[in-house]
This record gives sequence, C-alpha cells and structure tokens, in this order.
Amino acid sequence: MAHVVLKDLVKTYGTFRAVNDVSLTVNDGEFVALVGPSGCGKTTTLNLVAGLIPLTSGDIVIGERVVNDLDPKDRDIAMVFQNYALYPQKSVYNNLAFPLQMRKLSREEIDRKVRETARILDMTHLLERKPRELSGGQQQRVALGRALVRDPAVFLMDEPLSNLDAKLRVQMRSEIKRFHQDLKATIIYVTHDQLEAVTMADKMAVMSGGYLQQYDTPAQVFAHPVNMFVASFIGSPAMSLIPLESASAGGKTELTSPDGWALPLSARNARKVEAATGRKIVLGARHSTVKLHKGPVPGAVPTKAYTVEPTGDVTFVQAYLSGAIVNISVAPDIAVAPDEPIWLEFDQERMHLFDGETQNALEAA
Amino acid sequence: MSVVSASDPSRPRSRRRFDAWRWAGRVFLVLMLVYTAMPMIWMFITSIKSGFAAMQFPPQWWPSEPTLASYQKLLDPANDTGRDFLRFFWNSLFVSTMTTICAVVVAVPAAYAFSRFTFPGRTFLFFSVLLRNMFPAVVFLVPLFILMRFLGLVNTHTSLVLTYLTFGLPLAIWLLKGFYDNIPIQLEQAARIDGATRLQAFVRIVMPLSAPGIIATAIYSFIGAWNEYIYAYTLLTRNEQLTLPIGIQRFFSENTTDFPGLMAASFMMSVPVVVLFLVLQRYFVRALTEGAVKH
Repeated sequence: MAHVVLKDLVKTYGTFRAVNDVSLTVNDGEFVALVGPSGCGKTTTLNLVAGLIPLTSGDIVIGERVVNDLDPKDRDIAMVFQNYALYPQKSVYNNLAFPLQMRKLSREEIDRKVRETARILDMTHLLERKPRELSGGQQQRVALGRALVRDPAVFLMDEPLSNLDAKLRVQMRSEIKRFHQDLKATIIYVTHDQLEAVTMADKMAVMSGGYLQQYDTPAQVFAHPVNMFVASFIGSPAMSLIPLESASAGGKTELTSPDGWALPLSARNARKVEAATGRKIVLGARHSTVKLHKGPVPGAVPTKAYTVEPTGDVTFVQAYLSGAIVNISVAPDIAVAPDEPIWLEFDQERMHLFDGETQNALEAA
Repeated sequence: MSVVSASDPSRPRSRRRFDAWRWAGRVFLVLMLVYTAMPMIWMFITSIKSGFAAMQFPPQWWPSEPTLASYQKLLDPANDTGRDFLRFFWNSLFVSTMTTICAVVVAVPAAYAFSRFTFPGRTFLFFSVLLRNMFPAVVFLVPLFILMRFLGLVNTHTSLVLTYLTFGLPLAIWLLKGFYDNIPIQLEQAARIDGATRLQAFVRIVMPLSAPGIIATAIYSFIGAWNEYIYAYTLLTRNEQLTLPIGIQRFFSENTTDFPGLMAASFMMSVPVVVLFLVLQRYFVRALTEGAVKH
C-alpha cells in the first residue's frame, strides 16, 4: 500500500483543458472518491494516474516514486473499469492469472493466489467459466478479483458500479466498502453518483470543468460546501439555491426577494453578507433545514405549494421562491395541497450564503 | 418475441401474419439458393459428361454415361493438359497465398494504428487508402503495366502479388479497422495495467479477439487474387507462369471447345475457395467479444 500525491496536474487536448491544476494527496489506506458530472475531468484524472494517457504537466507520486513517465505496468496499480474489461477469450481463472503471468510468477504461486482470491470473493465455482457466461454482478466480482490478485499499491476504480442494476449496486457498494476496510487498501474511485461518494469514501474530491472544487471528508463537503456548484451537486434532493439581494436598514441586514418579502438575518449571517462583493446573495438551504408553516410566522416567508411528493416516510414539498425551486421535507402526516399558501422558515444556523457574483460560499469575517 | 406471440392465444392475428412472413422468407431463400447453386450444379453435371453429351440438345439433365475422364485428364501430370493445369493451379495458389500473407501482415498493424492512434494526417491517409477503390480496376491497367515494366517485374509473379495488394490492402485495412473499433479499448488498458507492454497487449489480447476479422480479411484477399483475370492476362505472357483464370481460357480453342474439360477445371478451381469457407466459416459467426464488456 502507498500514498498518492497529485501535484498541479494538467491535461490538455489541443486548446481544451480537460484537467486544470488538480492537486490532492491520498493518504495510505484512504478511500478517495473523485466525483462530478459527466465531462468534469474525473476519469481523465484517473487515467493520468494510471498512465493510460500522457500527462501535459504536473507530477504524480505513488509511494515514494514519481511515476510521470512510467508505463502503466510499472506503476504498481490495479484498475477496475466501468465495463469490467474482462478478457473475453479467457476463462475466469485465466483472467485472474493474467496479471500474475505477466509478472512471471511461478505456476504454483499463480495457482495459489488465483484460488485464494477466488475464495475471498466467493467465486471458486466460476473459475472455469468464460466472462460471457457470467451475470453482471459476477463479472464485476471477477474484475475486482483481477485487481485484488496482484496486491497492488493503489486500486483505481472507474465507475465500477454504474453498469449494475439498482439493487445489485447497493449490495456491491457495501462489498467494496467492506473490501476497503478489510484490506486497508488505497483506493481512488471515480463516480458521477454523489451518493456513492458520500457513502463509501473517506474523502471526496468534487470536480467540475476540469477543476478540483473541494477536497474534504463527505461530512465536511456536505456541511460546508465551498461554492454553489458543490452545494447543488452533493445531497439529494439538491440544496435549494434562492437568488436574493442584501439590504441594510437601521443596523439590521436582511435579504430581499423580487417576490416582495424580506428575510431578516442573524448577526452572524449578517457579517457573512458584509463580506460579499456585491448585493447579490444566494441563499442555500437543504430540504431538512426549512420549516413549513401553514400560517404566517415571524421570520417566515410566504409562498404557495407547487407540488407535493409523498415518499412514505417523508413528504417532499416544492415551492417557488424568487423564481427558484425550494425543496422542503415534512412529516407524512402533514397534509399539504398544491397551490395552498404556505410560509417557510429558514434555520439561521444551518443556512448557506453564497456570493451571487463569485458563487463562492460566504464566511463570517 | 416469436415465442411470446406463438404461445399467446389472445393474439391469433399477429401470429398468422408472422407465419406468412416466415413462409415468404423461406420461399425467397429457396429461390436465392436455386439462383446461386444452379450454375455450380450445372457446371458439375457438365464436367462428368462426355464431350458429345455436353453438346446435346435438349440437354441431358443427368448424363446417361457419367464419366470422370475430364478430371483424370486434368489431374494426370503425364499428359500436356494435366501438366499445364497442375502448373496453373500451383501458380494461382502461390500468387494468392503470397497476396494473402502480405495483405494480412500489412493490414493488421495498419488497421490497428488507424483505429487506436491519432497522428497527423490520419484522416487524410485513411481516405487516401480508399482513393484507389474509387476507380475501376482497368483504369490502372496501363499505368501499372508501365510501372511493372520499369521495375522489370513483367512476367513475374511478384508483379501480380503487388498489383493484387493495391486492390486488396485498402479494403483489408477498412475491414480490419472496423473490427478493431469494436474491440473496447479498455481491454488493452486493462492488459497494460496488468503488466503487459503495448505490443504484448496487442498480441495477447487484441489479436485473438480480432481473429475473425483477420480470417475474413485473409479469405477476402485470397479469393480476390484467386479469381483475378485481367491483370494476370496483361502482366503474364509465358505459358509456365499463367494462373488458373487465364489457363482455363486455353480450353476454348479455335475450332472446338472441350466443355466437360472446361467445366471440370472450373469446378476444381472453385474447390479451394469452398474449402476455405467451410473450414473458417465458424470464425465468421462466433461473436467473440460477447461478454467482454457490458454495453
């Protein structure tokens, strides 16, 4: 096992910069998820670490070695691909044996390691089959086994679960997590599914447009998103982002909406707003931090319910504020009808404030 | 779908229509079979007739006295006809095999490069490869003859191999590129991460997977060279170098044509092609990449 350091990683295709100055450190034994929407550069970053595509500039360190110019085979890594990339003409046994054969291990040692890996992954009975004779979940396991059999310094996983059906995905998710806990393996895991990242990773690196937006523990990223992109990407349903304007009157700061209402801010939030570059402020609120009232309450802002979605244990209500959709979760026994007037109260402690110009989170000075 | 509609009694209508289509398909296939097989069958029947029976009208559908005399004559090196035929056969085999080997040896790496690598002029090169196929073959007859004479290759089998490659290679490269495009690049990436060099990944993982493509390409090149007439006719003049298509022409003589002999020679000429297909056809059908990746 080893740590991985990415330093000012850049990858350009012509004039297009796919990866922009990405720097992060993956500690030994850490599970790091690279997460972001399609085309954000996360897979490119992973392929750079693997050595499958040449680096434009920057440094990659695996263990104590700078591996910038090393072939993939010399980087001591293993990779699990989204489409598994099992060798179709080889049996499961030979798929697992291939990396060992390429490293010229003895026949006995190969046999021992292959069988041990098969035993760990509970697929001894599949060893003689061809990949096409396996189910998706089994293929996934073989792909994992082929990475595992070699005991590499770093595991790279490129959306390994996204081809599985929903039920199997949840099951394999916990298996991979368990696998990480048992092996204390260093894993870099690429996914577009923020839920996978949040549930599995020790740390997550949120990427967008080739830039690393935030790199922290899932809890920190969830609680303190550094900008509006991260705020809206992490969490489901997404954080509601309401465009407002700040106004100061008589020593008090409030946020005003084109809808006509004003939201007074707490002293701490008022200090955050003072740090903004302009008057445009975006209020961010997760569904669970907004309280729904059926009558006017001081500090609550008026609107109308737009849609009501009961899910069983919680009911989601959507409403428009300043032209933006706001998600609110309420207990299922509270009946709300569409178009019913409602009042929303925001939790001052747990609301997020973003600079409307820079889109960055505002911090109290 | 067919299973569902056949066992579902609530949909008799769609079932009847489905069957009608099926029968139409069968009739069509039988007609196609007759259309393609009849000349072959007639060729064989004529080849076992006597010279007199072959010219009879109305024709004998099955010869009254079937004889293998024509085959004996052609395969017996003791007489002139047999010696010639066997030499032509060998010449054709040599030229076609050499063409096939060269085509595969060049096309495999070329197609792989076109499929996997980006390099300056890639698109231009790829389409210029096809440029040759935009013109009918005879257009190049005179230029190629002049070129071959300049190179001192007229009346050599080398000239034929080179000429056939100019036809066969572009298509071989296109055909193979299609096969490589369908092999997921992740397989090679996986192999390279698993410890293979680029070349090893190609030889150990990609080549076996593209075997059906390579075989299809080889058969295609072989048949093209085996059947080619006009260039062989132009570039070769010496009797001992002729290939089968030209050689068989010698059965047409000024006064009489030995039809059974001609048909026997044609029939034997078609044997290698048929054998090749029978032996290698399973590679065409086997979908090797199935199960490699999930789409």
